[in-house]
Amino acid sequence: MEEPYRVTPQAAIRIAILGVVAVTIFCVLFFRLWALQVISGERYLEVAKNNQVRTFRAPAPRGSIIDRNGVVLVSNKPGTAVQLWPAAFDQATPERQAFVLHRLASLLKIPYREIRGDIAARKDDLLTPITIKENVPEDKISYLLEHQNDFPGVQVNQTYQRHYDQGGIAAQTLGYVSEISQQQLDAAKGKDYAGGDRIGQTGIEAAYDTYLRGLPGIGRVFVDALGRVTSARQFQQLPEAGDNVRLTIDADLQKTAEDALKYGIALAHEDGKWAADGGAVVAMDPRSGEILALASNPSFDPSIYTGRVNTKDLKKLADPTANHPTLDRAVAGLYPPGSTFKPVTALAALETGVLSPTELIQCTPKEVVDGQTFTNWDPYANEPMTLTTALAASCDTYFYQVALRFYERTDSPLQKWARTMGFGAATGIDIGPEATGLIPTPAWRRHYFKTEIDKIWTSGDSVQLGIGQGDVLVTPLQMTRFYAMLANGGKLVEPHIVKSVEEPATPGQPPVVLQPYSPKPAKDVGLNPNNIRVVQEGLYDATHANYGTASGIFGSFPVQIAGKTGTAEKFVHLPGYQGLQDQAWWCGYGPYAKPTLAVCAMIENGGHGGVVAAPVALQVFQKFFHVDPSSFSASVGNSD
Amino acid sequence: MATIARDHRASRAHVGSEVGAYLRHLDYLLIAAVAGVITYGIWVLTAVTRNDVPGDPTYFVSRQEVYIAVGAALAAVTAAISPEIYRRYAKALYALTVTLLLLVLVVGDDVRGSKRWIEFGSFRFQPSEIGKVLLILFLAAFVANRARSDSPWKTVWGAVGLAALPMLLVFKEPDFGSTLIYGSALLAVLFFGGLPWKHLATLAIVTALIALSVLWFLPSAGMEVLDAYQKDRLIGFVHPDVDPSGTTYNVNQSITAVGSGGLDGRGVAGASQTNMNYLPEHNTDFIFSSLAEQRGFLGAAILLMLYAFIAWRGIKIVAIAPSLYTSAVAGAIVFSFLFQIFVNVGMTVGIAPVTGIPLPFVSFGGSSMITTMLMIGLLEAIHVRGRLAGRR
Repeated sequence: MEEPYRVTPQAAIRIAILGVVAVTIFCVLFFRLWALQVISGERYLEVAKNNQVRTFRAPAPRGSIIDRNGVVLVSNKPGTAVQLWPAAFDQATPERQAFVLHRLASLLKIPYREIRGDIAARKDDLLTPITIKENVPEDKISYLLEHQNDFPGVQVNQTYQRHYDQGGIAAQTLGYVSEISQQQLDAAKGKDYAGGDRIGQTGIEAAYDTYLRGLPGIGRVFVDALGRVTSARQFQQLPEAGDNVRLTIDADLQKTAEDALKYGIALAHEDGKWAADGGAVVAMDPRSGEILALASNPSFDPSIYTGRVNTKDLKKLADPTANHPTLDRAVAGLYPPGSTFKPVTALAALETGVLSPTELIQCTPKEVVDGQTFTNWDPYANEPMTLTTALAASCDTYFYQVALRFYERTDSPLQKWARTMGFGAATGIDIGPEATGLIPTPAWRRHYFKTEIDKIWTSGDSVQLGIGQGDVLVTPLQMTRFYAMLANGGKLVEPHIVKSVEEPATPGQPPVVLQPYSPKPAKDVGLNPNNIRVVQEGLYDATHANYGTASGIFGSFPVQIAGKTGTAEKFVHLPGYQGLQDQAWWCGYGPYAKPTLAVCAMIENGGHGGVVAAPVALQVFQKFFHVDPSSFSASVGNSD
Repeated sequence: MATIARDHRASRAHVGSEVGAYLRHLDYLLIAAVAGVITYGIWVLTAVTRNDVPGDPTYFVSRQEVYIAVGAALAAVTAAISPEIYRRYAKALYALTVTLLLLVLVVGDDVRGSKRWIEFGSFRFQPSEIGKVLLILFLAAFVANRARSDSPWKTVWGAVGLAALPMLLVFKEPDFGSTLIYGSALLAVLFFGGLPWKHLATLAIVTALIALSVLWFLPSAGMEVLDAYQKDRLIGFVHPDVDPSGTTYNVNQSITAVGSGGLDGRGVAGASQTNMNYLPEHNTDFIFSSLAEQRGFLGAAILLMLYAFIAWRGIKIVAIAPSLYTSAVAGAIVFSFLFQIFVNVGMTVGIAPVTGIPLPFVSFGGSSMITTMLMIGLLEAIHVRGRLAGRR
């Protein structure tokens, strides 16, 4: 039996305690809610907004690069890219991340560690997708799309890839495109670049990137917690295709120049010049400075930079045995010019008045200057020569004597004229990087060398400079511009490789030029026309007179070509060898009466210019003037 | 003999007047508050789940309404039945509880790695939910029956022993949240069953030791009691920033949702955390986060105040309960109600561990809704009996 229940004081206390517990619970919850929602509400709102919306950049189709006749050199190929959105991927557990990456690695056949490396490199930027692989086959794309839940943060996007329509021609000139690096991103602060953008890294692609790249589209998509897109892409800014860049290059001539370079190297090898391993050809319109061909050997296949760059390929390019294929030797290669520099000496002497065109100077087998013996390339030469003959026969001892006349002057007139005619400074061509070269002066010697004996400018230095030897360094482009100046009667043109920037082509419509390239007007360097004529005659004789160093090559060529051979000693470092090697040169122009093309050909370590460089230039002229090879005979005769 | 006497008196009275007295003595404020919470809950669930089933914005709400109807009917029946009946059949209730919980382990549906449901045709039912009421009823009976025992220790350990089996079975499902609620109900029954403070304090210390050994001592001796995910959740609750992607991801998303609601909410369409599925389980365990995101502090406060009102009415019923038994039942119901609210809401705002406890009257789910309604029915039954016994 139970007594009637009464609320005892003890029970009352317990009920009161329950009341206190209830009040406490509700107070705690209210305070917590107040803190979260009212005090920190703004902050969480921001977090929530960033949670759901992803801004994305849709790459614009990059502009094409076309040659002067509209032949497409580089275009775009649309493709699909598999990307990883770090913000979404980060939300998976480390075990799951590893699992997903391993699956992705085996699916796309990319080393797991490479993907890991890419993600680590971008750990501070969670909102830009990382491109894992481009050009993924259709079946793998559909597999990824069907198994989206198994690949958190993985997405498939449309991208464009560079496509090299003419194969690998003009690789160094065109340059390549790749993902923007962190340094570039930092340097480009404020400009419209973002991580993951692909930008031009070298050549035309880099120099004209602002035109070619177009405007990336910017938009947003809504995503759910797993990073799955839940809405259509909404563009705030539609992508705008990049503009086309029309080059002054002629694709056919470019191809010829590149083949001719290979031919020249082969000739050198036949001639026993085992070290011949590269070269450059520049073909320029001497009237305007438009570059028609710019070849550099060895070259590379620019398509290795499209899609996911294979580090093995890059290593191969960087290997010393590959002999720096990415270097544009025409613009950035530095060589002593050798005898091709003699017209510079000649013009400087004539202008300075230390030499008259009719003066006879004995061309001797050797010349002793202040106790030092300097030889002539032809040990049997021994006759008095005028300037034209000396140029045509490329008599070294003649020019030693002229150079000594400069040595007696304190104002370095040869160097001054050399600089006036474009040496020792960048030409200003619209792609880079460009080498400036070196015209040595007494002041330079004093500054450059350490020991007192080396600081002194000797007569030997003057003698060497007179024939383009010693410390003087030029680029093939500088040399070509100088010969263009001889061809056009004394005007220094600004070499350039872009003709115009054009609107993206609409089939069947004439191209719309947005911006023509306007080079600086050719600068008259102030040479006496008579002096130029004397040198021109010398260059004509060099290719036509029986004592000309390249008459065997150009003598019967239906178009009259004038030009000069050069064989320049250079101390070279090759894998497993270092020593003096001859750099083979030929520079000239044609038609002699009304020149439309100036060409320089240079073969590294190729030996004699008349043997290996002149035939290279000949092929370029032959192509340019559409000359039937059977209509003339070319044979290697004299050499220098 | 008081109860029987009262029953005897009632049987002699006019049937109509008995019904009238019964109706007169219902706690209409409690009914109004519960109706308010349920209505509010329907409103919340409608807004939260309208996008969850494509093409059927009322998928969850229409089902919830059925549960409410069933729950209301059962609550009405419960309110009419004298709670003393359950005391008489306490052993049967205990057997029923254990049977159901065993059954679910054997034939239960495996949903995301846990067996919590038994299927009856198209109706799924969660024994651990109904177990909450049954546990309170038989534990209160056990304690009240031993109220005059000379050995309170035997009462305490007896009750603990009785509760241990259902708790263990629920823990095996695994349903850690329900285990906790069972534990809270056990403590509340002992508390309101009039056990001396000394014994309650001892029990509290033992509980603390058990908790420590589950989390610490046993694992360090090579015995894992909790599943990795359960431990992660408990640890994650203490250090929410350790692993934002894994265990605590849900909590961080929930806090973001709640916080982003601000004072007056982001509205139904603007509640991106809910709409974009950043909030997991936003129709059940995390529904409070969705409410707080959509309706802000004001919307959340209205719900909490309705809960507080129900709690106040509940505490009054504990006070007017006609017997130690009913007092213990009412006390345990109110306490476990408060406990559920605190753990659920606390979980969504990061001050309680993630345990999968539903929010009473608001979370979608038939078993939880019906069980909570039954508890209200019990409170009403106790209220009526208390008032009939002349208590105020």
